[in-house]
Amino acid sequence: MAYFIFIGDMLVMAFMIGVVIWVSMKSSDKSTSEAARIPLEDEDIDG
Amino acid sequence: MVDPAKNLSVEIYSDRMVTVLVMFSIFWSVVGMLAGVYAAAQLIWPVLNFDLPWLSFGRLRTFHTNVVIFGFGVSALMGTAYYSVQRTCHVRLFSPNLAWFTCWAWQIAILIGGLSLLAGYNTSKEYAELEWPLDIAITLVWVCFGIVFFGTIAKRKIKQIYISNWFYGALIIVIAMLHIVNNLEVPVTLTKSYSLYAGAQDAIVQWWYGHNAVGFLLTGGFLGMMYYFLPKQAERPIWSYKLSIVAFWAFTYSYIWAGPHHLHFNAIPDWVQNLGMLMSIILLAPSWASMINGIMTVSTAWEKLRTDPALKFIVLALAFYGLATFEGPMLAIKSVNIISHFTEWTVGHVHSGALGWNALITFGTFYFLVPRLVGAKLYSVRLANIHFWLALAGTILYIVALWGAGVSQGVLWLSLDELGELRYSFTEVMAAMNPYYLLRFIAGLIFLIGALLMYYNFFKTIIGRRTIAVRPPVIAEAVA
Repeated sequence: MAYFIFIGDMLVMAFMIGVVIWVSMKSSDKSTSEAARIPLEDEDIDG
Repeated sequence: MVDPAKNLSVEIYSDRMVTVLVMFSIFWSVVGMLAGVYAAAQLIWPVLNFDLPWLSFGRLRTFHTNVVIFGFGVSALMGTAYYSVQRTCHVRLFSPNLAWFTCWAWQIAILIGGLSLLAGYNTSKEYAELEWPLDIAITLVWVCFGIVFFGTIAKRKIKQIYISNWFYGALIIVIAMLHIVNNLEVPVTLTKSYSLYAGAQDAIVQWWYGHNAVGFLLTGGFLGMMYYFLPKQAERPIWSYKLSIVAFWAFTYSYIWAGPHHLHFNAIPDWVQNLGMLMSIILLAPSWASMINGIMTVSTAWEKLRTDPALKFIVLALAFYGLATFEGPMLAIKSVNIISHFTEWTVGHVHSGALGWNALITFGTFYFLVPRLVGAKLYSVRLANIHFWLALAGTILYIVALWGAGVSQGVLWLSLDELGELRYSFTEVMAAMNPYYLLRFIAGLIFLIGALLMYYNFFKTIIGRRTIAVRPPVIAEAVA
């Protein structure tokens, strides 16, 4: 059981590292900057 | 590419049910906090149960936790999720009628659930005490919540899925999984069931559920709230969007393993306990990543803290979030846990999160949201500032009182005489708790008074007004 947990743990850790690399490499500064600004430009109030 | 002209449609956001959910959230917080303060008073003056079974501490405490978590907390999360997912997707809610159903059905479930707990119907699983018919009803409402939320994301008009939606999405998916698995039970009658699991397995499943309900509902769900409403209020984008994505995945990965720290020194395998401890310590990193991201976002808008009560609440909530998510991993270390386990220290830790983080960020969000929903200014900024200081005083006094109580309890319980026998009886240790319990009661009362001021403030703000119409913005570069 301990080996099963250990291997599973390492696989998920590998996924985590993959996510970090993907976020760093794939997404451009422009697209993350656009995403970050979404809440600031999301409504048109009628009053 | 989407024709920008399409954005000129008369579509408006479905905000009326958000207003209703906010009002229900406020209502349940009054009821839940009142029950908590009354239960705290019973620990000092037991006569206050008046020999009425439904008013006894055991039933009232369960009623308190269920009403504040599922009534106050989930109504707030549902309302803010509906509010923010529309705006971050630039579309009206998917099936507003289904959203209205979730809004009302959830309130009915909380009402019946609360009454059933006071009547003594209880599965005995902490935070999962409701009996099986209500479990099924909650599952149905939750699935509908998921359909509305993910349906809205599916028809979004902008490419990116904003970070708050990842946290709200994880809340919906993981809580559904936890609720269904932990509540698998064999019904005996309409009001009685037995868990499908037994012994140590039951305990492990229960605390896998219990800790991750704290994780994905009280932490992840409210981080979703923070990631949307903090930038709105500070009028600045989140400090590091990349950090928020890494923090989300790290949080999701590490939280799910931490449950066994609730079962240290119990009859479960030692390696499971050690794994729970290790993952709890690792959890500190993603927790603090979000806290740092929030604080750094405000760091360029400190001047707004002088005048903006909503932002003050949110920043204070982040400070308590940092405190609670540091204390949690420390309490999960076995050598610390041997003192803290089963003591009031745990209750203090939970409340540093529940009052300091969940309640304060919700109050801050509501101070932002309520005036905007009805298109009016807040009735009184001065009352909001008084509420801020009462909330801060109440939370700190509560935590300090229960630190004192918990450490005293732990040390007194572990004290041995020269013959190696317990030095103090259970009754003696309980009697030593009285001053701390009095302080806790006063702290809860202060916090409740502050909240009542907020309710009055909101009542005066919204009285005679209706929810205003808000349209998605016209953005030419929106992409499908």
